[in-house]
Amino acid sequence: MRRAGDVLRVLRYAVLSGYYDYQTIYTWRTWMVGWYVRVLSQVAFFALIGKLLHSPERTHYLLVGNAMLLAASGSLVAVASTQWERWAGTLPLLVAAPSSHVVVFAGRSLAFVADAVLTSLGAFFAAAAIFGLPLPWPRVLLLPGLVVSIAVATYALAIFLGGCALRAPGSRNVVSNLATTTMMAVAGVNVPVSFYPAPVHALSYALPLTFGLRGVRGLLGGASGGTVVADVAAQLAIALGWLALALLTFDRFGERGRRTGAIDFS
Amino acid sequence: MPLITVPMFTIVFLAIVRQAGRGDLAQYALLAPVLIALWQLSLFCSGEILAEERWAGTLEPTLAAPASFPALVMARILAVTAVALVSVPEVLLAGRLLFGVSLHLRHPLALVLTMLATGFAVAGTALIMAAVFVLTRSARTFQNSLSYPLYVLGGVFVPVAFLPSWLRPLSSVVFLSWSGDLLRASLAAEPVHRLGLRLAVVCALGLAGLALGAGLLERVLSRLKRNGSVGVA
Repeated sequence: MRRAGDVLRVLRYAVLSGYYDYQTIYTWRTWMVGWYVRVLSQVAFFALIGKLLHSPERTHYLLVGNAMLLAASGSLVAVASTQWERWAGTLPLLVAAPSSHVVVFAGRSLAFVADAVLTSLGAFFAAAAIFGLPLPWPRVLLLPGLVVSIAVATYALAIFLGGCALRAPGSRNVVSNLATTTMMAVAGVNVPVSFYPAPVHALSYALPLTFGLRGVRGLLGGASGGTVVADVAAQLAIALGWLALALLTFDRFGERGRRTGAIDFS
Repeated sequence: MPLITVPMFTIVFLAIVRQAGRGDLAQYALLAPVLIALWQLSLFCSGEILAEERWAGTLEPTLAAPASFPALVMARILAVTAVALVSVPEVLLAGRLLFGVSLHLRHPLALVLTMLATGFAVAGTALIMAAVFVLTRSARTFQNSLSYPLYVLGGVFVPVAFLPSWLRPLSSVVFLSWSGDLLRASLAAEPVHRLGLRLAVVCALGLAGLALGAGLLERVLSRLKRNGSVGVA
């Protein structure tokens, strides 16, 4: 019981620390005028390709896929944020501390997960109004829950990738950008997974977004509740797998760093 | 970084047009990643030249040197822009190997001249960013915000004609919209109309960027020198 309390306390401080990090990046004004315009443009950019194809169906497909991609890509900030402790010189302290550093890293970027959810939903509803996407009522009320699940599930993947990037700090942006563009290509964002040859499907279904996005399309397209729940469950199961790998990655990083005395160096 | 994501964008764009059965748009899908790479390198590499000098502590000695500082910055920006042209073979390779498509050079001279004019315009715009980014503590926020809005306004994939009419005047002052249209026209079977005039517009917009960037750079640097804050953000 006491241990759970300790973990929650560490998590709380990590979340607060991440929140203050976030505040140094955006104010409400720069978020609205800079970031929100950017993400809305991202969804519009792809939806306009549907217009170029003269297909309302393709326009809506691209709109939904790219709005949901924002929930996933926003969570990938955690790949880079794992480096912030190294730059701040606090990584050796974290490794030496008795609490799990995964808890700290997980909490540190939670503000960015909240941002990813807000960004995705904000861009989705605005783009839906601009491009005339019909929103099934009252099913659309469940959409925020699905977006949260996409962001959280991708966050698990991001923590794993962040652990890998700790070994090569210079690669953090490459890793997160490659992860984003890979999802953009093979997770059913712009074309169905079935478009690609069978060997690519294994990669597609290892990405939490693939199932989460399928759940969203099912929700908006009138699929049964059971089908949507099954997709969300599959997504969360994959996320748990990535989280387990993340725990292994961080522990190995900590052990190796202690052994070689290179915790603070790349 | 942009050179790493170029093949991925090529795959995404070609997949979209192939899946929609619109092979005729494959040329659009091949050009878009090149324009994206040019813009992103301008934003992320050229834009950070001054800021990086400052982080490295080399901005003060560079400013104290007798060589012209704007000329030095511009030369570095042009080098980065030249590197961005590596995206062309990257796109061609990805398109050929993964989708079996390639660029049809109907008007090679128009294509080459447009690429050169675009490179110049990219460099001019990058000079503005180099000056602005050194003034702000959160250059990354600006950089992140200036990608997709410019891809939409610049008609990087979808021609400006598909935008709402109220956005088109804004597009016409974005050099990418002229470059994108010209590049697509140079791949079409029809003759390229008013090539000279359209190239002149791209160059004029690049020149405007260059003049604005040089002016801004001068003002920013004189302000930093006056405040004694050349080395600190």
